[in-house]
Amino acid sequence: MTSIRQMIITLFIVAVTCAVVLSFVYAFTEPRIAETQAQLTLSGLEEVITAYEYKKIIPDTLWQAVDSSGENVGVVFRVFPQGYAGPIPITVGLDNNGKITGIRVASAAEGLAETPGLGAKITQPGFTEQFKGMTAADVALEQEGGSIEAITAATISSRAVASGVKKGIEMYGACLIPSCDPHMVFAEAERFVEVIKDTLWKAVRGADTLGIVFVGVVEGYLDDIKFMVGYNMEKIITGVAILHSQETEGIGEVIRDGEFLDKFRSGIPEAVSGATISTKALINGVTSGLERFKEYVE
Amino acid sequence: MSRLSIFTRGLIKDNAVFVLMIGLCPALATSSTVRDGFGMGLAATFVVVCSNLLISILRKNIPNEVRIPIFILIISTFVTIIDYMMQAFQPELYRALGVFVPLIVVNCMILGRAEAFASKRSVLDSVLDGLGTGLGFTLALTIMGTIREILGNGTFLGMTVFGEAFKNSPVIFMIMSPGAFLVIGILKALINKYVKKEL
Repeated sequence: MTSIRQMIITLFIVAVTCAVVLSFVYAFTEPRIAETQAQLTLSGLEEVITAYEYKKIIPDTLWQAVDSSGENVGVVFRVFPQGYAGPIPITVGLDNNGKITGIRVASAAEGLAETPGLGAKITQPGFTEQFKGMTAADVALEQEGGSIEAITAATISSRAVASGVKKGIEMYGACLIPSCDPHMVFAEAERFVEVIKDTLWKAVRGADTLGIVFVGVVEGYLDDIKFMVGYNMEKIITGVAILHSQETEGIGEVIRDGEFLDKFRSGIPEAVSGATISTKALINGVTSGLERFKEYVE
Repeated sequence: MSRLSIFTRGLIKDNAVFVLMIGLCPALATSSTVRDGFGMGLAATFVVVCSNLLISILRKNIPNEVRIPIFILIISTFVTIIDYMMQAFQPELYRALGVFVPLIVVNCMILGRAEAFASKRSVLDSVLDGLGTGLGFTLALTIMGTIREILGNGTFLGMTVFGEAFKNSPVIFMIMSPGAFLVIGILKALINKYVKKEL
């Protein structure tokens, strides 16, 4: 019969030794693990868009692709639409015109849960190559009026990829600087003069200043909402566009809705019940933006 | 018992998967390809050899009442080591094996060898026993992985066998979970019929 004290001491010594050994192993492998992870991510990005450098915008989700002279050549983003057996990890590259430069669906070894031999065929070039050169508007399966041929007997997986890519472009495409086109909120203007970099523009036609366009960011329900507002000299909102938002599907998503955004043209709308947080955030963002930049329209 | 028979016991006569039917969960789940099965087998071999070695060295100093927690501590330390190593040097294999790497801790084959053998026998015998048991497990997983990958994916270690036509429409079912049960069932039946057990 061993004494309690001896048991405690033995257990203690073993536990401490194990902990010390593990901390050494951790210190030894940790940099290597980080490096392999980064390498894996990077090689995934290179497959969809060629660039000199990938600047992280949202960790593990969105990168800006930059060439060797520092020019933006596009963006890369990752989306995880729900497939047949689980989320499908997809990496998408977009050029500055919002055209797909390539998509890559992660293999089973990288976490794809789709049925081997059926749904898992969405990883094959025969399927993914079809997306090249498309814009968000073109991305649809043949069954839905598009031109993407679905994998036979794997319509659910194919559709998930198509809709995931489409949603991704709508969500992140606005991060392409040239496509943050102020025309979408101020159609009457001929050109825009940047007043504050990436934030405020003067809308100009001929020699007249018609109004302003500004970009703002507010905290939404799930993520920041980035929006663009056009405002003319008559103090009327000419348009509101969402550049980035990631609100709850079917609820907060309403803020991307054309119908809701159009309401801003006839004054500040009411918050939408059920999506109060998202809509209020946007409304407050627009109002405070107007307040901040009102001197430019006087 | 001779040194050789200590080694071959776990390898063939008391093969963990095919004869004792233990460690079946990882055997079924990670044997969909040769690489995964072999990788999983080697990871388990590393753990069982190292834990047998250490437990055998410490066997006279481990109080009987707390031996199980100590065995588990030692086993989980080695599992964590292999877990980190695999993440660092074999990231693709690590992703494929997923949760089954940390779950080696609860593989009863390993705790079983610690309790039944290493805690009572000399260091060399314990290492041989661990090596035999681990390689027996690796052998079983590799055999299952070979059958399942060839039939279910038309490849062996990623290389095409039986030509492209078969590769494009293989027996997909074999690399899915039901295929694992089918293969282990048939192998077990064959072993029971043709391999005489020395009882």
